Amino acid sequence: MAKTIVKNLIFFILVLVIAPALVQADVSPTYALVNCRIVPVGGPQVEKGIIIIRDGLIESIGTIGIIKIPEDAEVIEAEGLTAYPGLISAHTNFFIEPPKEERPAAEALQTAESQPEKPVAKRGSPAFSLLKPKKTTIEALHRIGITTILAAAGSGIFAGQSVLINLNGEAVEPMVVKNPVALHINFATERGAYPSSLMGTMALLRQSFLDAAYYASHRTRFEQLGRGMKRPEYNPFLEDLVPYVVDKKPIIFTCANQEDIKRALRLRDEFKLNILISGANEAWRVADALRKTPVPLFISLDFRPPMSSEYSQKGEEEKRRAEKDIYPANAKALSQAGLPFALTSFGLSDPATIQKNIRAAIYAGLPADEALKAWTITPAKFLGVDSILGSLERGKIANIILTRGEIFDEKTEIEKVFVDGVFFPVEKKAAEAQPAAINVAGTWKAAVRSPMGELDLTMELEQEGSKVSGALTSAMGRWEIREGTLSGSNLVFSIEATIMGQTMTMEFSGTAEKDSLEGTISTAMGNAELRASRVPKTSP
Amino acid sequence: MKKMIFVFSFILILSFSASPLWPGGNLLIKNGTILTVTKGVIPRGDVLIIGGIIKQIGENIQAPPGVQVIDASGKFVLPGIIDSHTHIALSGTNETGDVITAEVDMADVLDAEDLSIFTALSGGVTMVHTMHGSANPIGGRNVTIKLKRARPSEELVVRQAYPTLKFALGENPKQANRIGTTGPPRYPLSRMGVNAIIRRELLRARTYMSQWDRYNELRKSKNPPKTLLPPRRDLRLETLAELLRGNLVARCHTYRADETLEFINLSKEFGFKIACFEHIPEAYKIVPELVREGVGISIFLDNWAYKVEAAEGIAPMAAYCAQNGILVSINSDGAERTRRLFNDAAKAIKYGGLSEEEALKLVTLNPAIQLGVEKIAGSLEVGKHGDVAIFNEHPLSAYTRCEMTIIEGDICFDRSQYLSEREEAAKRQKEPKKG
Repeated sequence: MAKTIVKNLIFFILVLVIAPALVQADVSPTYALVNCRIVPVGGPQVEKGIIIIRDGLIESIGTIGIIKIPEDAEVIEAEGLTAYPGLISAHTNFFIEPPKEERPAAEALQTAESQPEKPVAKRGSPAFSLLKPKKTTIEALHRIGITTILAAAGSGIFAGQSVLINLNGEAVEPMVVKNPVALHINFATERGAYPSSLMGTMALLRQSFLDAAYYASHRTRFEQLGRGMKRPEYNPFLEDLVPYVVDKKPIIFTCANQEDIKRALRLRDEFKLNILISGANEAWRVADALRKTPVPLFISLDFRPPMSSEYSQKGEEEKRRAEKDIYPANAKALSQAGLPFALTSFGLSDPATIQKNIRAAIYAGLPADEALKAWTITPAKFLGVDSILGSLERGKIANIILTRGEIFDEKTEIEKVFVDGVFFPVEKKAAEAQPAAINVAGTWKAAVRSPMGELDLTMELEQEGSKVSGALTSAMGRWEIREGTLSGSNLVFSIEATIMGQTMTMEFSGTAEKDSLEGTISTAMGNAELRASRVPKTSP
Repeated sequence: MKKMIFVFSFILILSFSASPLWPGGNLLIKNGTILTVTKGVIPRGDVLIIGGIIKQIGENIQAPPGVQVIDASGKFVLPGIIDSHTHIALSGTNETGDVITAEVDMADVLDAEDLSIFTALSGGVTMVHTMHGSANPIGGRNVTIKLKRARPSEELVVRQAYPTLKFALGENPKQANRIGTTGPPRYPLSRMGVNAIIRRELLRARTYMSQWDRYNELRKSKNPPKTLLPPRRDLRLETLAELLRGNLVARCHTYRADETLEFINLSKEFGFKIACFEHIPEAYKIVPELVREGVGISIFLDNWAYKVEAAEGIAPMAAYCAQNGILVSINSDGAERTRRLFNDAAKAIKYGGLSEEEALKLVTLNPAIQLGVEKIAGSLEVGKHGDVAIFNEHPLSAYTRCEMTIIEGDICFDRSQYLSEREEAAKRQKEPKKG
């Protein structure tokens, strides 16, 4: 009896403690944005408008005066501001904390008998299970108007399923808009294992698709007949694959160049897959093939020409020219060819570069209103969420950004952001000269993970004000840091690495904390994740 | 007048439809020394290419209206050079993740932007057989391409060529040179092992074929069992089954005479066709056997002793084998050597005394026959593709260089144009930057 009382008491206390939190989380205030210009995307603009946000949704939207301000609404005066739908980056590797990879133990000599029948493809983990949202990154994305991202794991051939999240806080579950969204496949290779080559990867993909279809048909037959038939051996990898091969759920292929795009199209045609292509940055070069059966294209704003491109093989000057003039014009060419595309931040983590490169695409001839569609309604359609996201309409999710000026203009600042109806005031644009918030000087142990493999590094950093210098040392050599800057907690630097006689520029962009540091190293060959922890100073 | 226009445009359409993917160009090459390779030498002759195809070879050919004329006075006109074994224009060479990798296909990883294509064109090369490497006893499918520069990769593929599968024997697949490298050693580690694993895989392929035969029989029977399922499709074994069915031919990297003979025995046991042996510096030891089997060889001209199994190469081998009835071609095996195959061909005159025509065949007609494309390439003949190289001197002279390379009537390399472009680019770089 006494026990029950105690139990009840604990329960009562728990309710007392938790309940207010629940209430707060469930009901965000109702807002009335008044006197703003509205660019709803896909509908007529409103010069002096009003948007009512209730319960995370757009309750009503229209011209001021016609729509009444509800009594319970918190009025936000937005005179001089323009409301746009929140931007959607339809492919990113943000917030993905890769699982610790088990390195295979050294194998004994393979003998004729012990040789495996066929190497087994690794299953990628679902991105949802790897999500670790970070406040600083979310704020940085809000600052450039991004309210929704597709998060996908970056490495491996089968890179798991992606998840679509609204940047509405830091708790994972409330962020999820759709999960899983698509299966991600990279034209990657394995180091020291099958497949070690691109042709091996193609063969593995084909064999895996065949196996999934075979597994499914065997399973179906077994379910029909039951007795008298041997059951198919359970295979978790093929279980994961069946929905994409048999039920034609979407697969996103990440491509590095035009040949990858053609490889993806070949696989689509051979296996009747439902595919989307990310990294369609050379799509204009294969426009004829794409026109035959259009496929949703995601163009990354990372305009560096791929390593395989002829523009990368003719010297630094030609490469820079291509990055500045040729690759940004891809979007315009696709728009003229009538091929649908979305713009993504894939491969970039520095908000300033993302913004700069949107402008580069517009400067190269992409009409600004098309750029806006490519950031809003088009990715929403591609990802199958256009009934709830991608434009400002009654009943849609209240992902709204308020800007002072045209959204993609250089001087425009984003002042207010609503995600799922939650209001995020945006601090003034982080000036370039924002002082360093911490001191990164010292020694760091870092690990770089790329689709090509892993590399351990030692980083020796020095810092003077916001200037960061030093060097990275690894088994591959010592690379000096150039143009290192720490603004706030954002660290960027570049290195010029000579690997097997080839000089390659790599750019790091990430965030630093007192004892940890993480970000992305981007190269012409692709991206790698860098994570570092501080090596404590040993007392003398 | 209207009728004239109609007829003219009809002719235009016709000429463009000769090859649907790549329309093919129209060219008249005038007043060159024509080395046809198969039909002798025309000291001062012309070659007319219409719609990518050679329409006429002879003297004083008049250019049809609108056809570009190339003056080849004082120059030598020969069929485009063919490299029977190289690894250029690919995004990958070996699939080292496994020992038997018949399922991989080099056509999947064509890289049309490889600068090696340009290098090869600068040496008069118009067609190459670009292959899987020699790390595995059974590598993968190879692909024959034309070096149509700046064209999409799929347009490069020569569909008329034999589908080929790479095999490799000896030091490379048994990893003789892996001493000092890390990681577990892999089976096979001996020449016996290489032979045994190939044999084992072919036996597996046979079993696979009979599984399918049995399935197809049952399926067609009056009352097929309800539980009947097709065998699992296995791309590795399917490729080998294609070899056993005769729809694929073997190209086998080999060095020593003994294991070459063993491979011939394997081909007889399993009934597959060997199109050509690669490198094979000991071919001169087994000439009667190679002649009897009708298997050609694709070799380096004077390159040997770079590893133990290459120790017994000899300089006159190309000439000796060719004179004794073996179909010989000279290959590059790589990017740089591709552009000077004509130099290698000339050495076969010095070492072994081949005639000029026979020496030229080593890099034109013979590789064409080995690749199964002699109906469209390998010599200058009416009806063949307009794949032509123009050299400033006789291509077998030590002072020669390629001036122009033409594929299906389109100029893919023009030395003078390239040099002036390069000069302009250099000038541009020197200019002070604006802004």
